[in-house]
Amino acid sequence: MSEPVLRTFELAKRFGGLTAVDRVSFNLAGSRLHAIIGPNGAGKTTFFNLISGLLSSDSGRTFFHGHEITGLKPHQISRLGIKRTLQIKSVFPQLTVADNLWITGHVAQGEGHGFLNPFRAASRDRGTQEKVERTLEQIGLAALAQRQAGTLAYGDVALLEIGMALISQPRLLLLDEPICGMSPAETARAVGKIRELARTIDIIIIEHDMEVVFEIADDITVMAQGAILASGSPKEIAADERVREAYLGREEDEDYVEEEARA
Amino acid sequence: MISAVAIERVLFAVLAAFMLSVPWTVPALVNSFWVSVIAEILIWSLFAASVNLLFGYVGLLSFGQALYFGFGMYGVAVGISDLGLSFWPAFGLGIAAAMAMALATGIFAVRLTWHYFAIITVVFSLIFYFLALSNKWLTGGDDGINFTLPPTFALGGTTWSLTDPTFQYFFILATVAFCFWLMHRVIGSPLGKAFLAIRDNDVRAALIGLDVYRLRLLAFVMAGFLAGVAGALFAFFGRYASATYMFYHVSGEAVVWAIVGGAGTLFGPLVGTTIFILVREIVSTHWEHHALIVGVVAILVVIFAPKGIVGLWNAWLARLTERGAVPAAIDTKLRTEP
Repeated sequence: MSEPVLRTFELAKRFGGLTAVDRVSFNLAGSRLHAIIGPNGAGKTTFFNLISGLLSSDSGRTFFHGHEITGLKPHQISRLGIKRTLQIKSVFPQLTVADNLWITGHVAQGEGHGFLNPFRAASRDRGTQEKVERTLEQIGLAALAQRQAGTLAYGDVALLEIGMALISQPRLLLLDEPICGMSPAETARAVGKIRELARTIDIIIIEHDMEVVFEIADDITVMAQGAILASGSPKEIAADERVREAYLGREEDEDYVEEEARA
Repeated sequence: MISAVAIERVLFAVLAAFMLSVPWTVPALVNSFWVSVIAEILIWSLFAASVNLLFGYVGLLSFGQALYFGFGMYGVAVGISDLGLSFWPAFGLGIAAAMAMALATGIFAVRLTWHYFAIITVVFSLIFYFLALSNKWLTGGDDGINFTLPPTFALGGTTWSLTDPTFQYFFILATVAFCFWLMHRVIGSPLGKAFLAIRDNDVRAALIGLDVYRLRLLAFVMAGFLAGVAGALFAFFGRYASATYMFYHVSGEAVVWAIVGGAGTLFGPLVGTTIFILVREIVSTHWEHHALIVGVVAILVVIFAPKGIVGLWNAWLARLTERGAVPAAIDTKLRTEP
């Protein structure tokens, strides 16, 4: 059997007395769009933070295509090809849309292992420039290329984030609620984009919109209270009794436990 | 149709022509004292540029740049008076000392951001300020070190030295212009884009694969270079070095100059420094509380023009040229400045 794209072994993270991620062993076989769902505070975003290196795990190990990435720094993990978007939209607000894409694309092309030439004009990197133009067309933001990213409408920022994920040539893409806060039209556009991406890139997506999840996911993992509750095809998950309980049978009072514990 | 680029080019040409003619026009118009004031403005604007590189382009507010300015000064003074070095090796020693110090302190400082970073830079500069005061055998303490200028170039029987005011002016102008040109190149390069990305959002920058810590350290050493060159020039200019220039008050002035002029713009520090030194030179002879003007201007700019005077100018220029302009075709050309 070949190595899975992403494998975590008993990954755990505690914030004080709260176990945010509880010995999660997770396998992403590859070539699939995998969704992680679960109530607020289930540890989904913390799980992403552990994989991408923004948080270090208390115990457990993470492997990417068979290489151990436990304990690596965010930029090192990023350079291996794991890219992610953040739940709260995160771009470079004072840079133009084009520059947001440019720097992301330039770093990702990995020429000279992250060497940033201080003696060459950025505009002379034709390769990245062309990629920027192509990506702008793909995400439909060409008309806003010279706008400062901080002045964009919310939906456009979300599209820009997807564009940044695209141009960074990920081998694995972690999307954290990419369509949260979008209008129906923007949602349709973004979902189309994600589907298109999933044909060539392995994607794990955290999403609350069940309609979207069941429409696009090949596999679904359900997390609750830091642990994996169930994992399977959308059909299996829809029929799962425990999953229904997790969603319907609990109060919403745990909503912000994770955020509070971090503060 | 007026374009912003054309206006800026004309302005730049006028400024360059003026700067190149200063040793002749200024004594004719005012007196020769003002030639050295302009030379001093150039040196201090380079010092303010080091604050600007860190704050305006990387997002780190340093209140300790005087430390590297002081090391540039002492590198030159100690090199000439204690080690008997000639001009260029002493210049090199000053710059190297400033950069080495920036590296040594930066290793700790750039682990922090915002107020923590500002505080640690002040602490480092205070520590070395008091060390410089107490180690009189090396630094001369408050009195500083006076030295005799060695010649800059010697070719055959002729020598060029900074003792010639015109040569001194052009030497300072050339050095400062070269440093500003270097900074302009770096800002427009991939490295510069990476700096801007870190300034805007360091978490995002790490997630796209930028080594935030190392890039901040690199910027810190580069800023140390700019401050070191400024300090070395100032030592040559005054023929001495003194611990008083390592005090955090000096760092603070540069922060004000850079922010009022326009942090994150190439010429902001030059504009800010020019305004404040002119105010000081003109007003201080008539009114002892000239620092009040500095304070009021600084407060007004921070409130009404967060991007400084150059930022105001850029916004005005953009409005002027946009009016009546045909909506430009989609242009994905990269800007070199925010």
